[in-house]
Amino acid sequence: MSLYDLKPGQQGYIQSVKGDDKLAKRLLALGCIEGTPVKVKLVAPLGDPIVISLRGFDLAIRKRDAKNILLKEVKEA
Amino acid sequence: MITAALLGNPNVGKTTLFNYLTGSNQYVGNWPGVTVEKKEGYIDNNIKIVDLPGIYALDTYSNEEKVSKEFLEKGNVDVIINIVDASTLDRNLYLTLQLKQFNKPIILVLNMMDVAKSKGIKIDFQKLESKLGVKVIPISASKGIGLEDVKKLLKSGNFYSLSNENDYHYIEDEKKNYRFIEEVLAEAIVKEKEEGMTIGDRIDSIVLNKFLAYPLFLLILYVIFKLTFTWVGQPLSDLMDEYVIGGVVSLLESLLENSSPWFKSLIIDGIVGGVGSVIVFLPVVMTLFLGISFLEDSGYMARAAFIMDRIMRRIGLSGKAFIPFIIGFGCSVPGIMSARTLESEKDRKLTALLVPLMSCNARLPVYALFASVFFPGKESFVTFSLYLLGIAVAIFIGILFKNTIFRKGEEPFIIELPQYKMPEFKSLMRNTWEKGKGFLKKAGTIIFSMSVIVWLLSNFNFNGMVGMEDSFLAHIGGVISPIFKPMGYGTWQSSVALLTGLMAKEVVVSTMGVVYGADLQNILLQYFTPIAAYSYLVFVLLYTPCVSVIAVMRKEFGSKMMAFSVVYQLILAWIASFLVYNLCSLILG
Repeated sequence: MSLYDLKPGQQGYIQSVKGDDKLAKRLLALGCIEGTPVKVKLVAPLGDPIVISLRGFDLAIRKRDAKNILLKEVKEA
Repeated sequence: MITAALLGNPNVGKTTLFNYLTGSNQYVGNWPGVTVEKKEGYIDNNIKIVDLPGIYALDTYSNEEKVSKEFLEKGNVDVIINIVDASTLDRNLYLTLQLKQFNKPIILVLNMMDVAKSKGIKIDFQKLESKLGVKVIPISASKGIGLEDVKKLLKSGNFYSLSNENDYHYIEDEKKNYRFIEEVLAEAIVKEKEEGMTIGDRIDSIVLNKFLAYPLFLLILYVIFKLTFTWVGQPLSDLMDEYVIGGVVSLLESLLENSSPWFKSLIIDGIVGGVGSVIVFLPVVMTLFLGISFLEDSGYMARAAFIMDRIMRRIGLSGKAFIPFIIGFGCSVPGIMSARTLESEKDRKLTALLVPLMSCNARLPVYALFASVFFPGKESFVTFSLYLLGIAVAIFIGILFKNTIFRKGEEPFIIELPQYKMPEFKSLMRNTWEKGKGFLKKAGTIIFSMSVIVWLLSNFNFNGMVGMEDSFLAHIGGVISPIFKPMGYGTWQSSVALLTGLMAKEVVVSTMGVVYGADLQNILLQYFTPIAAYSYLVFVLLYTPCVSVIAVMRKEFGSKMMAFSVVYQLILAWIASFLVYNLCSLILG
């Protein structure tokens, strides 16, 4: 299960971040660490990228990169 | 002299604080070696504040981070002013932890206290101070609250007493650092209510809406355009032309009545004709910059990057590259410089090659002049079509380059969508005025000297003062004019204007002001057909931008890239102008 699988409005808890080293390091520095609640807020008009929300701020990332943010559990909205 | 380093995440009010502390006592330069802007300012001439770039961390491999780190290590920093967003403290404090490893006193400025309050966040400042071993000052920069306290503390020098005895030291483990921050915040912060839909969320649900996002985006650009060309900028320019420039000319004519003809000609035809024809566009230029500054300050820019990402990927770039393009509508130089924030060297290069195709402010005077002469009543339409053409050509070239010289994998795209805010009047005015000042400076230096040179060259040859047809300029123009014959404007005057236009595109207009004389509007009609005029504008839009762009290209990417950009744009402009002229002639007969 990854962030890619969440629908807008759904929330999950981060397990880990994998993929591109540079991007992973940035996401970690922004607080994408284990146990952090993260929500998919909305999807861009053309279907990609998406806006996610964590620790009180919003971040735009591509769906492809969202696949690399693994979740451990999902809270049903 | 005390040196203070100002650091913080992007979009936390760093610039507002910096401007407040240093007033107009600022200097903008560049960090050696890398192309990151360096801003310094002073309080009372004995406290130096160095504004470091907005960053989230010190170790995620960007130039901005390298610059900041190096300055903290080697810049003899006495104190660090770390400004943070009180409403998203955990992420902001991550940088604070990294700053602690430099063992300097830290003043933690908690900005956006008003926002935090509205989010129901209550902060125990003393707890935060003791837990982190820093001095905490709460402020609301946009409301002007608390700013004086920061200044006072800096002046008093009391920050030296700040201990560094705090036992937590940053380690190379994001998770442990965040755990530490969470522990601190658990004690220092009370969150009284859970966040519901914020105003920003509501705005986003409209601005980023599936059906409304693009129409709104176009509407915003349209409004800025209308402001510039119809509602505010152009009318003011017309008034300025009529009363200011007209007044100066008649005043000078009466003053110089008895002086020699050559001197009168130099002053009126050369200097006033040249500089005046450009300077009247100051209101137009400033209005457009005001619009762009408004977008930058409001938080909309990141949203534009977000909705444009999918489209930008088609041309091998990310949505982030869209920001340099928008800035490029103002001026290509800051546009190219803002490409620095992109992820990879290839992205930066490709963006820098395409940004000059966005029609910059300097090209406006040329469009405005030609459109009013050849397409009266349709000025906005003609001008808008040129802007669109620039974008279309950029897309075409982008796809072309992506599939030939810039083959590469996709770079990651990640951008924070900052909270919306009402841009502050003062900072908008400041920004716009800075840009306007740049324009005036250009008018006073490059355009002034080019006007004098053009006047000299157009009134003299080796035999002394002669009629314009026998002048140096006519000869130079005559040599290059055959290149432009196939596009319908092979006169020496128009060719020379393109040549001098390399100094700055406004010079195209000022040169014409000098060589065609005061009655420019009527004279132009004799030299161009409307189709030739439009194809001339296409050339002006696309050909090698000014020397400033060439210089910045060289500084950022080296001589090879500079040469490439000059040559490719010349060829591109020639082909496009040729096609426009001949296709239009064919169709419209």
